[in-house]
Amino acid sequence: MEKILLLAHTQADGSLPKAAYESLNAALTLATDLGGAAVTVGLIGADVQAAADSITACGATNILAVSGEDFAASRYSTDTVAVEALVKEAAPTLVLAPTSSRFSRCLPGAAYRCDGRIETHIADIKVNDGAVQVQRWYYRQRMVATLARAQRPWFLVVDSGVFEPWQGTAGSAEVQALEVAIGDDCRRTKVIGVQTPDSDTQTIRPEAEVLFVAGAGWTKKQPDGQVHIKKAEELILGFINSGKASLGSSKSLVDQSSEGGEVISFMSHLNQVGQTGSTPRHPKGLATCCHGEEPHTVGWRFIGERRAISLDPNCGWAQGKADVLYVADAFEVIAKVNALLA
Amino acid sequence: MSIDRQMMEVDIACVGFGPATAGFLHTLSQAMTAEDGSILLESKVMPGMPLQVVCYERADDIGFGVSGVVTRGRALRESLPGLDPAQIPMAAPVKEERVLYLKDPLGKSHRSSGVKMLDSLFGLLGVKDHAVKLPYIPPFLCKEDGLVLSIGQFSQWIGNQLIGSGLVQVWPGMPVSEPLLEEDRVVGIRLADQGVERDGTPGPGYMPGMDIRAALTVVGDGPVGPVGQKLDEHFGLPEGNHQDEWAGGMKFVVELPEDCTLQPGFVLHTLGYPEPEIFGFLYVYPDRIAALGIFVPSWLDSPVRSSYRLLQHWMQHPAIWKHLKGGTLRSWGAKSLQESGQRGEPVLVGDGFARIGEGSGSTNVLTGSGVDEAWATGVQLAEGLIQLAKEDEPYSHANLERTYLGRRRNSWVEDDARIAKQARNGFTRGMIPGLLGMALSGLTNGRFNLGGAFRRPWQRIPAFKDYFSERLTAQEIDTIVEDCRQQGKPPFEPLMDKLGWPPIEYDGQLLISHQDALLIGGKVQAAHGFADHVSFVDPSVCDDCESQICVAMCSGQAISASEGGGVPQFDREKCIHCGICMWNCTNGRVDNPLRSNVSFAAGSGGLHSAEN
Amino acid sequence: MSGGFHIVVCGSLVPDPLQTLEPIEGPTGPALKNEMMLPAVLDPWAGHALFEAAELAKNVPDSKVWLVSLGPKAKLQQLMMSIAQKVSFELVAIDGSAGGFTDPFDVAATLADAIGKIDGLDRSKLLLFGGCASASRDSGVTMQMVAERLDIVDQFLAVDKLTVGDDGVLEILERIEAGQYQASSCDGAPAMLGWATGSLPEPPNNPQVGMMNMRTVMPALQRAQAAQVGIGGVQYAAVELPKQRRETRVVNDTPAEEIAQEIVDWLKA
Repeated sequence: MEKILLLAHTQADGSLPKAAYESLNAALTLATDLGGAAVTVGLIGADVQAAADSITACGATNILAVSGEDFAASRYSTDTVAVEALVKEAAPTLVLAPTSSRFSRCLPGAAYRCDGRIETHIADIKVNDGAVQVQRWYYRQRMVATLARAQRPWFLVVDSGVFEPWQGTAGSAEVQALEVAIGDDCRRTKVIGVQTPDSDTQTIRPEAEVLFVAGAGWTKKQPDGQVHIKKAEELILGFINSGKASLGSSKSLVDQSSEGGEVISFMSHLNQVGQTGSTPRHPKGLATCCHGEEPHTVGWRFIGERRAISLDPNCGWAQGKADVLYVADAFEVIAKVNALLA
Repeated sequence: MSIDRQMMEVDIACVGFGPATAGFLHTLSQAMTAEDGSILLESKVMPGMPLQVVCYERADDIGFGVSGVVTRGRALRESLPGLDPAQIPMAAPVKEERVLYLKDPLGKSHRSSGVKMLDSLFGLLGVKDHAVKLPYIPPFLCKEDGLVLSIGQFSQWIGNQLIGSGLVQVWPGMPVSEPLLEEDRVVGIRLADQGVERDGTPGPGYMPGMDIRAALTVVGDGPVGPVGQKLDEHFGLPEGNHQDEWAGGMKFVVELPEDCTLQPGFVLHTLGYPEPEIFGFLYVYPDRIAALGIFVPSWLDSPVRSSYRLLQHWMQHPAIWKHLKGGTLRSWGAKSLQESGQRGEPVLVGDGFARIGEGSGSTNVLTGSGVDEAWATGVQLAEGLIQLAKEDEPYSHANLERTYLGRRRNSWVEDDARIAKQARNGFTRGMIPGLLGMALSGLTNGRFNLGGAFRRPWQRIPAFKDYFSERLTAQEIDTIVEDCRQQGKPPFEPLMDKLGWPPIEYDGQLLISHQDALLIGGKVQAAHGFADHVSFVDPSVCDDCESQICVAMCSGQAISASEGGGVPQFDREKCIHCGICMWNCTNGRVDNPLRSNVSFAAGSGGLHSAEN
Repeated sequence: MSGGFHIVVCGSLVPDPLQTLEPIEGPTGPALKNEMMLPAVLDPWAGHALFEAAELAKNVPDSKVWLVSLGPKAKLQQLMMSIAQKVSFELVAIDGSAGGFTDPFDVAATLADAIGKIDGLDRSKLLLFGGCASASRDSGVTMQMVAERLDIVDQFLAVDKLTVGDDGVLEILERIEAGQYQASSCDGAPAMLGWATGSLPEPPNNPQVGMMNMRTVMPALQRAQAAQVGIGGVQYAAVELPKQRRETRVVNDTPAEEIAQEIVDWLKA
């Protein structure tokens, strides 16, 4: 019988991120599908009580925790020790965890220490003939595989946005704290802090309803023969702010900076979606001034409803990829959209 | 401004890695060391080491974006005894060869009365699927004992062996901009500048192209290579020679439908459709893969050339489509073919340089064979150098003439080229005289030939109103041309539509838009930091250009019309370096009658496909 | 700082992103159709790691860069002809599959073993570099397991910037959620850095660098040991191309006002 450990870490304010509730739901569903497998929750953070309280009604067998100041920050050396301790205590066959920068960094090494195996970017978990099967993408979202493993413990890092978050009443949770000793060798790395972009240029919003993809066309010559970077910036920011959208960019737009071309000042490689960028999940997506082809349009893979504005009716982002293609000048259309949204 | 340019010295610098350079490097590398590892050909720049030989190739990898061929493979087999096609991906021995004369099932092609007569004559032989199988293939065209090859795969196969030997270095992704000339001596090559703006001015990360100084420069950069062009500009062509005959080859690599019965090694040549002057080919590789396509010759005197549209009509000819229907596009490509053959031969050797391969006029325009001849010229040059090394003689004009050229002139390459030299004369007068001329030259071993006066490609293109005088009114033409000019579109598609060519009904697999073909089969990329390699020399000429044939013929849709007319736009990231724009332009240069208004220089990037 | 770094970059080939990929069932598990024929490029994130490594080595005296590549020997050779022109490194080649369906656990063991055998490598100076994920398996787990096997407990993922202080302390910016960076410091080598895009443009092709690298690249390829890396204990039930074609409604010749209204209605729906 499988035994499940759900791992989660707290955020700076002691709460759990949305993705943790999604993974919890995944773990509970899986447990049910397996005919009632036991679920243990393992929490990591400076103080995990509030987080534990928020999920106390989930039906987990028990809640374990590794907490304290050493585990406040996201750091490989201490996080792996924490995970190792939780796995040792819970002795699970399956370890589920949400995708986060913190877990992406530490879980592979932790899995190795536990003589386990790990799969990341899990897009689905099923039970087939009593066996756990997961789905994940290969070759940058260009093919999808369904797979199983015999080795245990098996770490499954679940992509955010795949499962609905678990919802339940908060209460007072009983937390079993594990004592974990941290040596000086684990303190060679010190977390200095988080660098947040200025609020008016905060353009990446994973929770946003809409992904706005800006293509290189925004920085190309317009019908009057001139480049209008300032105007483009104004329109894009206008949409991002009034439409509460997240901003993605095509590769070619970002590449222009390394070519020394004029660029949108508030966009960087971090905004890039597609082949060498991210593949975010948003319910809706609007691509503007994009051109390009298959490997780059994988940025669209996990976008629900997709629309595109392009002057090129054969736009690779649109034909066969989007639900609607508006063959029009994005400068003109977005100006009007912004006016309507204002 | 003085430029701080790095310099490197080698013994031999090669430009372009195609069949000719491969043949050269293969033969040379085999003679460089003895079995016990001792050095047989010693470097002058690094005494105690074997010859230092480098080759620079523009494409991002060796074998990217070249071509599929059928070849008798005489020279290949001589160099590679025991050559087993099964060891090379996409290669097979020729099993069956057919020539089909395609009649026009739609009645939309431009058929002269002579061609119509040919339609009737061939019709007597029995028509099936609107095509006539010719009962006889003249021996000079026959490739029965040969091979079908993907030159992309072959180049990778042989290139990997060469690189793996450690005796020669082949560097892809490195365009060569020009030869280094000191008076009439070539002392090496200059690599293309990097970190420059589109117009070539230094930008961020500017790195001036390095000078590679070499005792010998081997020029194998093909028919549109910048080093070959610069040498031609410096030395001129030998008296009486010209490079006025070209063809644009465009092809698909197709996964044939599962029920296709064509066997590996099947070779089909066609003529007659979609225009009488257009030749087609279909070569079947193992695993139900085929290379197929058409050649649009410079003597197709039509101002509405668009290889892509014409190729789609050719594929749908009933005699072809019955094999292809249900197939899927795997790859796509195009290239210029220098079809003047020996007539286009440039100055082949000089102090410090030798030219090999297609750019040296080695293609045989009668037998329709180029790869084998190119390889042979590379081998001949290598043998010449080995002789010079033994004699301890320098790479002087006289020595190269005696060793390399001596071998070339006394070989089957030269014998066959002489037969072929005047075989194309008839095409200057039209399709029928062309075919008759080829037959005459071929069947009499070149003793008898038709005459003909060659014209520059741009002197051949008639105005729309002249070409369509019998089928469209002047007003209809004016309306289409003006509408297109305003919309920034070239007029060839609307004109073909107006003539009644049916629209292509896309099936999403094989019949797909040009744009989709570029995305699915084209796989084109250009590295950052290089200058545009296509430019329009005199903008005022473009302002007055009616046909915009550079746009119509651009294989990669890299050249597009500007709204309101004028100088077309060039997008380096779409260019596949076929060079067709260079010879297709309808305008010659005032200052250089050898060249058209389109300049084609050294550039980086191109196709990323070796399935060609 | 004194002594310099010994920077080992793990990176191999992936199919050229422009290629059309199709999965097939091979003799030992899933594979790509025509895998050996597909043009290949250096895995993009590993490429950034390599360029960053070269730049760091240039700036910190007495540093050295090794590139450890696991891939089919013939394909590695081809790849080297492209990347060896860009930056200086010494190649450690391992002949084996570079496919996306290989098990990262096995791959990590192979890489760690090869790194452990590098002559003259000083583990106390070791900076282990790699991509934050590969463009083939796209898992983001291999580098951590390689580092674990090499007893490196200071690890960083999705790194965009590394600054080395005069005292040898590493200051590192890692990408975290919502376009933010986590800034950390680490008391010097050894450490593992899994790079995101970094901040350097792709270096130009430099023939002299190429000539220099070739002196070690070819012997390294000739020495390459075969490694058995396969799908490990994974059972693949299916590998499929997604059904990705949508019916696209094309709106032509419509005034911008109408389009804008339609988009706003859609956004608000």
